[in-house]
Parts: sequence; C-alpha cells; structure tokens
Amino acid sequence: MYRYDEFDHDFVQQRVAQYSDQVERRLSGEITEDAFKPLRLMNGVYLQLHAYMLRVAIPYGTLNSRQMRRLARIARDYDKGYGHFTTRQNIQYNWPKLSDTPKILEELAEVEMHAIQTSGNCIRNVSADHFSGAAADEVADPRPYAEILRQWSSNHPEYSFLPRKFKIAVTGAERDRAAIQVHDIGLHLKRDDNGALGFAVYVGGGQGRTPMIAKKIRDFLPEEHLLSYVTAIMRVYNLHGRRDNKYKARIKILVHETGTEEFVSQIEAEWEKLKDSELKLPESDLAAIASYFQPPELQDRPEGWSGLASAKKADPGFAAWVHQNVTPHHHPDYGVVTISLKPIGGIPGDASDSQMEAVADLAERFAHDEIRVSHEQNLVLPHVAFADLEKVYRALLDVELATANAGLVSDIIACPGLDYCALANARSINVAQDISNRFASLERQRDIGELKIKISGCINACGHHHVGHIGILGVEKKGAELYQITLGGSGDENTSIGQIIGRGFAPDEITNAVETIVETYLGVRLNADENFLAAYRRVGPQPFKDALYGETSKAA
Amino acid sequence: MTETLFPAETRLWTQDGFVEDDPWTIVTDEETTVDGNAKQVLPLATYLELDDASRTRAVGVLLGPADDVMDLEPFLDRLDLIAVTFPAFNDGRAFSQASLLRSRLGFQGDVRATGDVLIDQVPLMLRCGVASFAVTNPTALKRLAEGRLPGIDAYYQPAAAPAKSAGKYSWRRAPGAAA
Repeated sequence: MYRYDEFDHDFVQQRVAQYSDQVERRLSGEITEDAFKPLRLMNGVYLQLHAYMLRVAIPYGTLNSRQMRRLARIARDYDKGYGHFTTRQNIQYNWPKLSDTPKILEELAEVEMHAIQTSGNCIRNVSADHFSGAAADEVADPRPYAEILRQWSSNHPEYSFLPRKFKIAVTGAERDRAAIQVHDIGLHLKRDDNGALGFAVYVGGGQGRTPMIAKKIRDFLPEEHLLSYVTAIMRVYNLHGRRDNKYKARIKILVHETGTEEFVSQIEAEWEKLKDSELKLPESDLAAIASYFQPPELQDRPEGWSGLASAKKADPGFAAWVHQNVTPHHHPDYGVVTISLKPIGGIPGDASDSQMEAVADLAERFAHDEIRVSHEQNLVLPHVAFADLEKVYRALLDVELATANAGLVSDIIACPGLDYCALANARSINVAQDISNRFASLERQRDIGELKIKISGCINACGHHHVGHIGILGVEKKGAELYQITLGGSGDENTSIGQIIGRGFAPDEITNAVETIVETYLGVRLNADENFLAAYRRVGPQPFKDALYGETSKAA
Repeated sequence: MTETLFPAETRLWTQDGFVEDDPWTIVTDEETTVDGNAKQVLPLATYLELDDASRTRAVGVLLGPADDVMDLEPFLDRLDLIAVTFPAFNDGRAFSQASLLRSRLGFQGDVRATGDVLIDQVPLMLRCGVASFAVTNPTALKRLAEGRLPGIDAYYQPAAAPAKSAGKYSWRRAPGAAA
C-alpha cells in the first residue's frame, strides 16, 4: 500500500496546523459558527444532532494494522469506544469534542492518515473496489490510480469550492463492486485489444433526491490521460454546474440539463487543450505509484485445501462462514475474507475499539498486514491462506465478528439516520436491527440467498436505498416516521434505480412488509439460483404490490 | 455614477503587502463613458460593447462569476487588469477563471480578486494566478497585516501559478510549472 514520504508528511502536518488555527479562531470567538462551517467541513467535521462528528479518510478503503489500532485508540480515548465505518469506505466518530479534533488529527497524521476532504464541496475521498489487488476476476489493481487521484485532488486550488461535493470511484474488474455508475465520475480500469490499460469513463451518476445512472462518455481512455481528462471534467463542472439550488448542483444535473452529447463535446474541447500538458502521466509516474501496490509475496500453501475440507466437515458454522464470507483470490491457495460488521440485531458498520484491535492483530498475523473497508460497511482481509482460515474464524468468533452473512438479507447498509444525523427525517438503525432480528436464522437467510437491503433516513440517500434490491427510505409525514420501499435497485455493473412500490409503512409495519416481499420472492423464483434481483427483473413489481397492498392495487 | 471599487474599509493587498494608492475604479453604470486618464474597470458586457478606439484606453475588465473569460481573448494585450468576483465563499468559479486567464490565455497583467475575499482562500487564489486582492473581511485584513497566510506550501498538483523554485508537487516530486 501507499507509504507517505517526506512530502506527504509535511503536507499533512501543515494541514493539521492550518485546521488547528481555524479551530482556535472558532473557540476564541474570532469567527462565528457560520464562518467556521466551511472550514471545518473541508476537514470532515460535521455538527450533528447531539455533537460534532469527525469523518476520517481511509483512501480507497485500504489500511494496515497500525492504522487500524490507531483508529481503535482514538475511539477509546476521544469517543465512546466505537467507530462507524461508512459507505465511502471511511470511518466516523460520533462523539468527539471540537477542542479535541486537532489532537485527533495529530494522532492520525502519525500513522499517515487525515480527514482532508471527507466533506465539503470538493473532490471527496476516492473510493475503489474493496477486493482490489486480491480478487480473482481483476484485470489490474485500481488503487494506484485512486492514489494518483487522491494526491492530485488534495487541496486542489481550483476545485476546492465546487458547486457541490464530488465523488470518484475506480474499479478494476468487470464485476463492479465499487458502484461506479452512481458516482460523479466512475472509472472502470480495463485493457484494450493490445493489452494497454485505460478507463471506461462514466460521468453524472448519483443518488440523493434525483437518482441518476452515470453516462459512459468514453469507452477507453488511455491511462496516461487520467488526470488531464478528469481535470477537463472538473473545469467544465466548476464553471457551469448550477449554484442557484443546492439540490440541483451535482454534476448529474449539469449532464442532464446540458444533454450528454453537448456535455461531452465541452469536455473533449477542454481536454484537447490539456491532454499534452504537465498533467499527462508518463510511464515512469505510473510505475512509481504502482510500485507501492505490488501484491504481497504469497507463498504456495496447498496444504490448506485438505485442512479446510476436514474443518468444514467438523464445524458447520465454520463451513457456512467460509461459504458466505470467503471469496476467490487470484492465488488458488488463498481467499478474500469479508468480516461482517452486521451482527444479527447490531448497528451496521459499527465496530468497537477491541474489535478493531482484533482485526488489526489478524491482519498482521494472517493477512499480510492489509485491511480494507468496503462500501457495504464491512471489513475485508484481502489475502488469507486457506490454511489459516480456521484460525481467523475462531479469533473473529471471540470478538463477535464471525457472522456468516456477507451479501445476505441481514448484511444491511444503513445511514446513521435520526439517531445521529441533523438531516435525517427518520431513524434507520432501528429498522436495520428489526429486519436483522426478524431474519435472524442464517439458515433461512441462506435459503433466501443474495439480497441487498439498503436503508436511508432521508432523501439524501446516504444509505444507498436507490440501489438496494430492497431499498427503504425514511420520510417524515405529519410528524411521524414513514418508510417508503423501492424494489429492483442495483449498484453493480448492471446498475438500476429501484422503483417505488407503493405507499409507505409505519415503523411497526416496515419489517412485516420486508418479510412479505421476501416471501413473495421465494414464491415466484424459478429456483434457488435465481436471486431476488433476477426474479424481480423477470416478474416485475406486480406480485409484490399484490402481496403488500392486496389485489386491488392492480386498479391503482 | 461611479463608485469606488474599494469602499473605505476595503484595502488592496498583494504579496508585497498592502497597496495604498491603487488607481483603479470600478464603473457600474452603463451610461458612464470612458474618459480622461482614469483607470476604470468595466464590466465585461460594457467592455465588449465599446468601439475599438475606446478599448485602446487604459481600462480593466470586471468578470462576473458567470462570464466567459474566453471572450477577452482578442483584447488581452490591451488590458492591464482583469478583476474576478468571488460572490461568497462557496462560489469557486473565479478560481477557474483566474486559472484560465493565466494558463490558457497567458494573461500577464494584474488579476484581481474582488467580492468576499476570505483569508483561508487567499493561498488558493494565489495559486490560481490571482495577483491582487480587494479585501474587506476584518479577519482577512488582520491576518494579512500580520503576515499570517494560512496556506499549505506543499503542492500536489500543477497550478496556474508556478510553484516556487523549491516547490515540488505530487507523485512526481518535481518542480512544478504551469499546466
């Protein structure tokens, strides 16, 4: 993974000093909260319902054990002993004191971390496939490009006050695990017929109150043009994106209102002037960054195969976990382990200080010191030998992190909702917990199969409900919480926006409604291999409407 | 009617310090004609409507955030000053306008920041090629007077204003030049 050099250390130290000075001005009363707000937001500090919240960047979701231990220590020393991993592969602390935030940043800087650009109308932390560098189906590791984008966008003088926030995601496999088509810019790293690397470029995707699927504006952009092309997009957006209405300020609206063809011609015209500038990436630049992301030297461990088979036979719980939470690695003796942060009835994405430390220990002992945060709010150990899987599983069991539910109905994405967030209209966490408890049986969950439930507590869609197979949106109606259901959304290579199925449900009805939907699916599926999304796409919404609202809904 | 570009509490700052005898005056009334030796700053639309003879006089141009800097391309060699406008902290269009003036159009004259010029944005404005600053914000005035610019002098990307000779940027760790 990337290691800071003197330059990076210097940059982050200067940023901490700059921010400390800004906090000092606020605490002394020299500036008002209004004036402080844009400054703190550039550094990931939000004011929530009950306290300040600090969002720490985990670039493309990659970190090592030392960094994870530091995150644990910060949770213990400055928060209530836990942190919340987010859909942007970051971590949020919900209870820091404003006066402590500069100290927290100093602690982070010591382990090459920061909170820069985790909020504000700037280019946010670049996200990437959480299986990068490990997945069997990967063409190339997207993280070097994410790192180049991270560096280039850091404190960018021209693009720090954009019309609205700007999110970039990169993936290196046909199977899109980074939801690139619902990002402002999505980059799909691939090879052309000659084996050269480049990107399919998607622009203008996003969720929020106006969900849109990104338009593919380039099928193959050679890798050396990454920064010049992204700069061209940023410049057109910065100059022409709407600033009269914050709900229409994302680039998706600009693309939509300008028309894709005209928008692309503006980008291409700007890019013509930039493509041979200093932003062009020579092979040596790319190689220099890629060298940080060399795969670990994985010894052959063929003995793992037979041991794994007998261990699975002896312990059905272990077998279920391997089946559900371990995915193929490019090395045949290894697997990619998903550590579920979705215990039955738990808060999605939360981890305690001791859990974080346990994961750090495991990464160090069994996973080449690498940890990933997934946008589905789980953790990942990307390189674990089959021979070590059982030890990892036992250790995870000890800290209640061995739930075998990756990709199943209880692997729910949920935003913090009205329990924390000042923007929320409804609670999200309790809905996730209720659904998780309702489907507590892992056997039942496995029978249901792959099913992604995503819950947002308001229209801003931080819980990605638009791309949930089952999406749940909390709204406020006449002073009460109401939950609207969308079906058929997906954030993968076949991205789709879920369709609203009908009137919403009260807090005490929503879990029943989800169960009704699941039972309806089980009734209509052709066989156990047809997952929820495939079945929904085949049969459409009607059977689900009938089940939820009665046959009369046909007339409606 | 004319009004001064910088009311009493506005001071002009450059990297050499505060400037006390700034000659420029912004002209907001379209009726005003360009006359005498006054150094006047005209809104872009007014400037574009001038006949060629009037344009040869010493004038500057004020760009609004929505104006297209490329409209000035034919006239750059006659302009001494182009002012850009930051209407509020969150309107960053002038960062791109200034960058384009410098790096795309090669404008050599003064690029001036007007509007809500805030101390935390001044270092970024400098990097985008802004050379002078009409400042009214009290905190900004105080900090500038104390010589305390809250910038970060490690740059991760090329920008319109070249990095200082010792400066390096980004993955390349090389001295920066205009892009």
